[in-house]
Amino acid sequence: MERGSGFYRYHKHAKYGSGLNMEQASRDSDDHETNVPNAANQPNNLPAATRRGDNANNNTNPTKEVREQDQYMPIANVIRIMRRILPPHAKISDDAKETVQECVSEYISFVTGEANDRCQREQRKTITAEDVLWAMGKLGFDDYVEPLSLFLSRYRESEADRSSILRDIFHHKRGTTATIDIGGGAAAGAMSTPLYMQTFPIVDQHQHHHHHHHGIDSPMLGGVYYGFAQGNAGEGNGSDGAGGPSSSQNGFSSYDPYAPFK
Amino acid sequence: MRQAGTYSGIFSAGISGKTGPHSLPLARIKKIMKKSGDDVKMISGEAPIVFSKACELFIQELTQRSWTETIQGKRRTLHKEDVASAVIATDIFDFLLGLVSNSSCSSIDPPVAEH
Repeated sequence: MERGSGFYRYHKHAKYGSGLNMEQASRDSDDHETNVPNAANQPNNLPAATRRGDNANNNTNPTKEVREQDQYMPIANVIRIMRRILPPHAKISDDAKETVQECVSEYISFVTGEANDRCQREQRKTITAEDVLWAMGKLGFDDYVEPLSLFLSRYRESEADRSSILRDIFHHKRGTTATIDIGGGAAAGAMSTPLYMQTFPIVDQHQHHHHHHHGIDSPMLGGVYYGFAQGNAGEGNGSDGAGGPSSSQNGFSSYDPYAPFK
Repeated sequence: MRQAGTYSGIFSAGISGKTGPHSLPLARIKKIMKKSGDDVKMISGEAPIVFSKACELFIQELTQRSWTETIQGKRRTLHKEDVASAVIATDIFDFLLGLVSNSSCSSIDPPVAEH
């Protein structure tokens, strides 16, 4: 029920349309003290959007009775990560699972709060990855900073690669190395999956200059096979609970490299 | 501009190596980030990605330390009390003290961090 009303509110917000207000709108819908009054469907300007948050509306949101799942990480994902480091015989009680689930949300809030403070001090509006890393270091999670920095730089490399491949595919021969943001990347990735398969050999031919003139056959397919097999095996059961927005965020991951060979 | 590593990179690190078929949903992370304060305005797309990994590290550390408590109690089941003990025993988890200490109602407390 709670979830239903959440979607309803999102639906309403979607009508607001302007990208400018989306940040604000989704924040309003997250805010459990307030709700969007029906009468407040005013023109699409920022003051109105800001004011919506002040109008208290108490006909929904019994926050205290329902344990709202959408303010926590999906429990299945949390359990999976917990099990990764526990011995196989270990059992986890339900209340422990829920507690860890709550702790994760608390952790995100805690670090975000610190990162946000920094942004405000420096009069910036956007919390960046660096702010998050900085906040973790400041709050005592120094040990996380290094692996996370590595993770982030690997991610950035992969994004740069992806965007350059996408440029090849769409024949955008610009010299810039514009990075595609997540949303755009997802859209482009999902959209271009069939295209990608079609133009695959073209991409490979380009690459011949840089590689050691391998034949087009075995090393290439070997690479494909290995990459995907490894990715799928390594991430394992990563798909459950991660539906919706998350799975759409990497359009490529749903791409089946074997489809043409089946 | 095409680089030599592009081709291999897209398959090893590029597609599935990004953040995996995400272990934790980025949209949910972003939502929780926004709830952490009314003054949180905009969030870079990379911030939830960092968090997706950070939360894994966090869950693992918390679980590891909780399990240590379980073992010390000569038990096989990780209970909420073990998590609480781990939080109390670990300095960097001090911010969780409020969450784990009020055991009766912690499950309905909204996880809003505004200490």
